[in-house]
Amino acid sequence: MVRTAGIGGTSSVVVLDNGGGFCKAGMAGQLEPTAVVPNCLARPRSSKKWLVGDQLQECDEIQAIALRRPVDRGYLISPETEREIWERIFKIHLKINPSDCGLMLVDPLFHLPSTQRVTDELVFEDFGFQSLCVGNAPVFTHAYQAHKKPTSLLARSKCSLVVDSGFSFTHAGPVFQNRVVSGAVKRINLGGKALTNYLKELVSYRAWNVMDETYIMEDVKEKLCFCSLDIVRDLTIARKKGKENSLQCKYVLPDGIKYMRGFVKDTSSAALKADDSEDDDVEIMGGSNPRPRRTMPEKQEEQELTLTNERFLVPEMLFHPVDLGMNEAGLAECIVRAVTACDSYLHPLLYSSVVLTGGNTLLPGFKERLELELRPLVPDEFDLHVDLVDSPIVAAWKGASLMAASPDFQGWSVTKAEYEEDGTLRCRQRFLH
Amino acid sequence: MDDGESSARRSSSRARKVAPKMGAALLDSNTRAQAALARLEALEKDNAGAHEPIDLDDDDEASPDEDEQRPHPKKQAKGSKRKTRQAKALERVASIKKAPRSFLDLLQEANLEALPPNVPSYLRAAVGPPSVGARRHFCSVCGYLAPYTCTVCGARFCCSRCQTLHIDTRCQKFLA
Repeated sequence: MVRTAGIGGTSSVVVLDNGGGFCKAGMAGQLEPTAVVPNCLARPRSSKKWLVGDQLQECDEIQAIALRRPVDRGYLISPETEREIWERIFKIHLKINPSDCGLMLVDPLFHLPSTQRVTDELVFEDFGFQSLCVGNAPVFTHAYQAHKKPTSLLARSKCSLVVDSGFSFTHAGPVFQNRVVSGAVKRINLGGKALTNYLKELVSYRAWNVMDETYIMEDVKEKLCFCSLDIVRDLTIARKKGKENSLQCKYVLPDGIKYMRGFVKDTSSAALKADDSEDDDVEIMGGSNPRPRRTMPEKQEEQELTLTNERFLVPEMLFHPVDLGMNEAGLAECIVRAVTACDSYLHPLLYSSVVLTGGNTLLPGFKERLELELRPLVPDEFDLHVDLVDSPIVAAWKGASLMAASPDFQGWSVTKAEYEEDGTLRCRQRFLH
Repeated sequence: MDDGESSARRSSSRARKVAPKMGAALLDSNTRAQAALARLEALEKDNAGAHEPIDLDDDDEASPDEDEQRPHPKKQAKGSKRKTRQAKALERVASIKKAPRSFLDLLQEANLEALPPNVPSYLRAAVGPPSVGARRHFCSVCGYLAPYTCTVCGARFCCSRCQTLHIDTRCQKFLA
């Protein structure tokens, strides 16, 4: 009885966007995902136990935390790790039993046969979902944009160019008739993870050794990095000393005693704050917590990280991977190539609705920078319109939620029985994007 | 000569490896390219340089039930050496089998080159080299635009101050 209700009702469809950085999960039809948790296991230095997903966000000891990710370069390679994360999401956050539900999964483009099989096995054999429907981020992001602005050109033409710059890689994917033109999709092998690691590399040489502090540096990147609109000008500013250097920023690293999380130190009110915190610090230090590292004078108890040109040189790599020694075209050219690979009738439509999504687009100035670089490359008779989705990290999830709530869901999906009968390959053929 | 060789064999392998490479690297673009590739590879790592220990720990953590039994094998270790060695070897084999393979391994296995050229695949979606614009170089020390190249290792620097710093700290470190 429960089962028929599950199949008939659209409410019991789980929507999951299994990204490399974050796993977004919720029920179909919801406007916002119930859970957005880091898609990794983490182990603090002092503990033997791995923390799962959102436990990492509450963990107090984040220095030198070891991370284990189920996703490598965007594709699921470690189902054991993923199972633990999904189990927690289903049990604690969604409070559902997978065998009573269908699943709408946001999948990466160009699955390898092996990663595809691993995913299907995880869905059907480990969790026993009743049915599965997969789609990819460009399609869902397009669906979300079309739903939000039903009268826009994007919605009427059913055509857009979705730029998804996520944790593992960056895709420029043309969407036509609500489907991805997969032959025209172009990818840059650079995503949020590579940017964080690049920042780590720079900082470790110039200031503190943070090679083991991936998690902390991710936060530094999100809070301080931005896209420069004029790199030579900004480099010159960053070279100045003292107050003239308006780009200089300070980030207080967590020490695990006073600050569990790092934060940006406001340069203007830094003096005041430092006075307050010093007193606190002395009290703590005088208490029951003597630390081995007492060589530094008490005034500099805060471990400060000063960033100047790293703030914009790191995101710069997305636009010029060549500077990193990577023989790949930058984002603007990537978009142009994706468009050029489509039929020439589509070019004006695609250029007039470029949609930006994915976590990297949250970097300040991302859209402006892209427009600046893209305009000279686009033929002048075409309009260029770049649009940033309102919530880049969960936009694909929202689109998936909309589509999973539609009555057609059962028609799109593959049931467990069909999977058992036909296996991975046959089932996947139905989803041909 | 003979004497020198034998003493080198006994000393740590690390020192031995570095020395000839240093010489070869003086003008060897191949080594430089390799170092650059290794650096790009490192950008995709989760934990810097700590790949193996984590994989080994995985083995311990893989099944939480084993947690209670952990003291057990230690007791055995005192008993018979042969058994534990065997067990260790078996464990190692199991961990190699169990450890998730990297995406690049899977990609190679998938043999996407064999597909006809009109089929879209992971490989064909790669954006490819840029058509315009040369590489800009940033100072490896301070980040500013760098017109000069280190003659030894090929890194970039912008001024003599940065050059000194580079030679003192980083030059050829990537070879070690």
